[in-house]
Amino acid sequence: MQTLTFWIFFLAGAGAFAAQVATRVRLIAAAPEPFSFDDAGARLQRFVFDVVLQRQTIRERPVAGAAHALVFWGFVAFAGYTLVEFLYGLGIADLTSTGWFHVYRLALAPFASAVLAGILYLLVRRAFVRPAGLGEHVSMESVVIALFIATLMITFLLGFRLDERTMAGRVNWWAHMLVILGFLALIPASKHLHLVLSPITVFLKSPELGRVRNLDFEKEEVGLETVKDLGKKTVLDAFTCVECGRCQVNCPAWGSGKALNPKTLILQTQEALLSGKPDRKLGEVYSEEVLWQCTSCGACENQCPVGIEHLPMIIGARRGLVSNGEAPEYLGSMYNHLERRKNIWGLGYDQRQKFVTSAGLEIFDPARHDVLVWLGCAGAFEADFQKSLRSLFEILKARNVRFGVLSKEQCNGDPAKRTGNEYMFQELANANIDELKRAGPKKILTSCPHCVKTIGEDYRRFGYEVEVVHSSVFVAELMRDVPPAPRPASAAGPVETVTFHDPCYLGRYAGKSDEPRELLTRFGGDAVDFREPVRNRDNPFCCGAGGGLLFADKEEEPGSRISDVRLKQLHDTGAGTVVTACPFCTIMLKGAQASAPSGGENIQFVDLMTFVNNRLTRS
Amino acid sequence: MILVVAEQRDGKLNRATWEAIAAAQQLAADGQVSIVVLGANIAAVAGELSAAQAREIVVVEAPALEPYTSDGFTAALAQVVGELKPSTVVLPHTYQTRDFAPKLAARLDRALVTDVTAIKTIDGSAAFVRPMFQGKLTADVVPQGETPHFVAVQVGSFRADQAAKGVSPAPVRALAVAVDAGAIRQKPEAPFQEARQSVDLSQAERIVAVGRGIKEQDKLPVAQQLADALGAELAASRPICDAGWLPMARQVGSSGQTVAPKLYLALGISGAIQHLVGMKGSQTIAAINKDADAPIFEVADYGIVGDLFEIVPAIIEALKQP
Repeated sequence: MQTLTFWIFFLAGAGAFAAQVATRVRLIAAAPEPFSFDDAGARLQRFVFDVVLQRQTIRERPVAGAAHALVFWGFVAFAGYTLVEFLYGLGIADLTSTGWFHVYRLALAPFASAVLAGILYLLVRRAFVRPAGLGEHVSMESVVIALFIATLMITFLLGFRLDERTMAGRVNWWAHMLVILGFLALIPASKHLHLVLSPITVFLKSPELGRVRNLDFEKEEVGLETVKDLGKKTVLDAFTCVECGRCQVNCPAWGSGKALNPKTLILQTQEALLSGKPDRKLGEVYSEEVLWQCTSCGACENQCPVGIEHLPMIIGARRGLVSNGEAPEYLGSMYNHLERRKNIWGLGYDQRQKFVTSAGLEIFDPARHDVLVWLGCAGAFEADFQKSLRSLFEILKARNVRFGVLSKEQCNGDPAKRTGNEYMFQELANANIDELKRAGPKKILTSCPHCVKTIGEDYRRFGYEVEVVHSSVFVAELMRDVPPAPRPASAAGPVETVTFHDPCYLGRYAGKSDEPRELLTRFGGDAVDFREPVRNRDNPFCCGAGGGLLFADKEEEPGSRISDVRLKQLHDTGAGTVVTACPFCTIMLKGAQASAPSGGENIQFVDLMTFVNNRLTRS
Repeated sequence: MILVVAEQRDGKLNRATWEAIAAAQQLAADGQVSIVVLGANIAAVAGELSAAQAREIVVVEAPALEPYTSDGFTAALAQVVGELKPSTVVLPHTYQTRDFAPKLAARLDRALVTDVTAIKTIDGSAAFVRPMFQGKLTADVVPQGETPHFVAVQVGSFRADQAAKGVSPAPVRALAVAVDAGAIRQKPEAPFQEARQSVDLSQAERIVAVGRGIKEQDKLPVAQQLADALGAELAASRPICDAGWLPMARQVGSSGQTVAPKLYLALGISGAIQHLVGMKGSQTIAAINKDADAPIFEVADYGIVGDLFEIVPAIIEALKQP
């Protein structure tokens, strides 16, 4: 009788689970763009760290993350126990009285206590502490789930005290099993589906940050226009989201009072998919305004613990808008500049030639030069950045590095790629790849982190593989055997307070944050008091220039300016000197300084290469 | 005979007409051109045009020609051209011309050359220079086929003040054409007018622009006085407009207006690239800045390294000298 009743409950719970999961699986199956599995080694490594060891969960929120890890490991440990109890309850096999099960059960007791402690902490945090990332309202569903988990653990522990054959024991067993079945029915429509999906999603996440595949114009692809265009991974992402809000609290747009909230985007995707209106325009699902507020800094994607990729969706939707002529006006003029003059400023390339001549640069020849220096559109036209390049050239010459430049460069296409003008990106990329192949460098050196990402990673999708190094990394290696100059007695001035602003495309995308600090501390020596700003290394706060927003004006940037927010963070370190390593960060932060006379007006901005070079020549 | 089509609105002559007259006079071997003006209540315009050195001013007045419609103008001008039999018809390349000229040329099955910036002679025939591929190339176009040929000249390419004036007023003649109001399919609305208070810096001949070097809002009158003395518009770089010292409409740069005046005088502007891209097209750039390393000097034709509060009053004083 009890077995039959249990079968009925089991079929109801498992059926509810299966039906709801099937809806989602069908949506994933119907979506275009197959999953990619390249670089399985890197994917496996991420799986081990982020799923098994819970790195991403613990990293940013150590206490909550550790509590989560306890619950996660507990769940894994309980898998066998739950299976045995189900086999018993369904009358299939009774392994409950075997010796090994007894040992297993005893071993689970500490796990159960850990889960209980973990879940009670998380319950209090969610219901009473409520950090911003978790949303404005207490999620009742999460409270129910947390109580379910607590009940499971309590009933398990009570099982040691209560005799199975007594009434109390039976009630306890039933309570445990029914909670599991209830849990099963509740999971698929809730954020707790991440229990099932996140290990898969984490494995399927692209090994490189911000990978947005090329459009195939032969197949008349134009980007994402409607809900049914969303790729398989994006659909999977939408159902995996655990709503932790790490993407939200790290987003510079959200952090400066704009409408964009990456978490909301994912939940809107989920809702749009389930609402059964596959032809709804993405501009309506997300609101166009929001889509243009993203700087492509990658914080959302990089901090996500369950493997969600926001950028392919945001940039994909931008592509859909650009294809339909719905880009904001300031991008229109930038696209004109790219089309007519092949650079974002709309200036003539004779200016680059002037710089090449006045700096005495040689045209790259693989027989005579070790590296090719890529100037980029800032190096070609922007006076400030040209100064920092001259510093780099002096360092290279002092260390006998033989280098040359291309006679002809075009914009690498980064602003076109990130704003969704894929056609223009591919035109620029192909022209540059032709030039680069003709020149044949083995190694490209650049001081622009956006060039590192675009030439080093995006150009790979066209089959062009070359090693691209940022100057901070190259020079750090170059200088390792140079003893730092002792501070000359004559220069015994006050200690300079220095902070470093990690560029998103260097610290986060390229993962290089040790090298700049190595240079700062080695060459700053005891003359420098180095101070870390908030949001540093692989999770910096954007300067606001990325994703085409360099050209947006105040009306396109509601809330406060991202650059103002960042300047304040840097100013708060108390540093008198801000060292930068990206031309666009420098432009934005200097602009913020000029526009906000109330704070940080005395801050000096120095490019890392100039910082190093100044200390070489002085010694 | 060369015929110029004048453009007027509400009885006011469009200045680009004089540029078209100058081009037509250059084209006519004997310097003799005829000018036609269309509309209603255009006697004053005809009087103004008669100052030109021209064979005659032809006035085509019909109620159906006011306000302008492409159907009305095409019908009327087709008759005028049939009547006067010019060898070339010269038009200013305005929005109105862009609207009706292709239709007129197609109706008569004659050649049309638009956006002409100069006139050359190649092997004895007139060749018209026009930009192609967004200004990357220029082409010399010799129109073929039966006359008349239609030529629309780019606004600003010919100088209005070089249009020859006659010793005595040119004769004014009325020409009657039949325009069937019922055959006009367009219904024009009132012309779009931008908000009155907004400033169109792109039309300014001279601009005095201020940057952070001005230091305080209270010092702005210094720049304003210089602008007044020069007959220039006042503009600013982003920080000044961000601070609310001047309205956003006066901002020059990548997030403001793009300007190309004959003279751009930059006061205390360092020349960040976002500003440079908005004013690089200026004919003459003069800069005053304390910092000799300021990037503005990279693009300036004339530069003064020094304190603008000493230099600007001196310039104003010098401008006041007779």
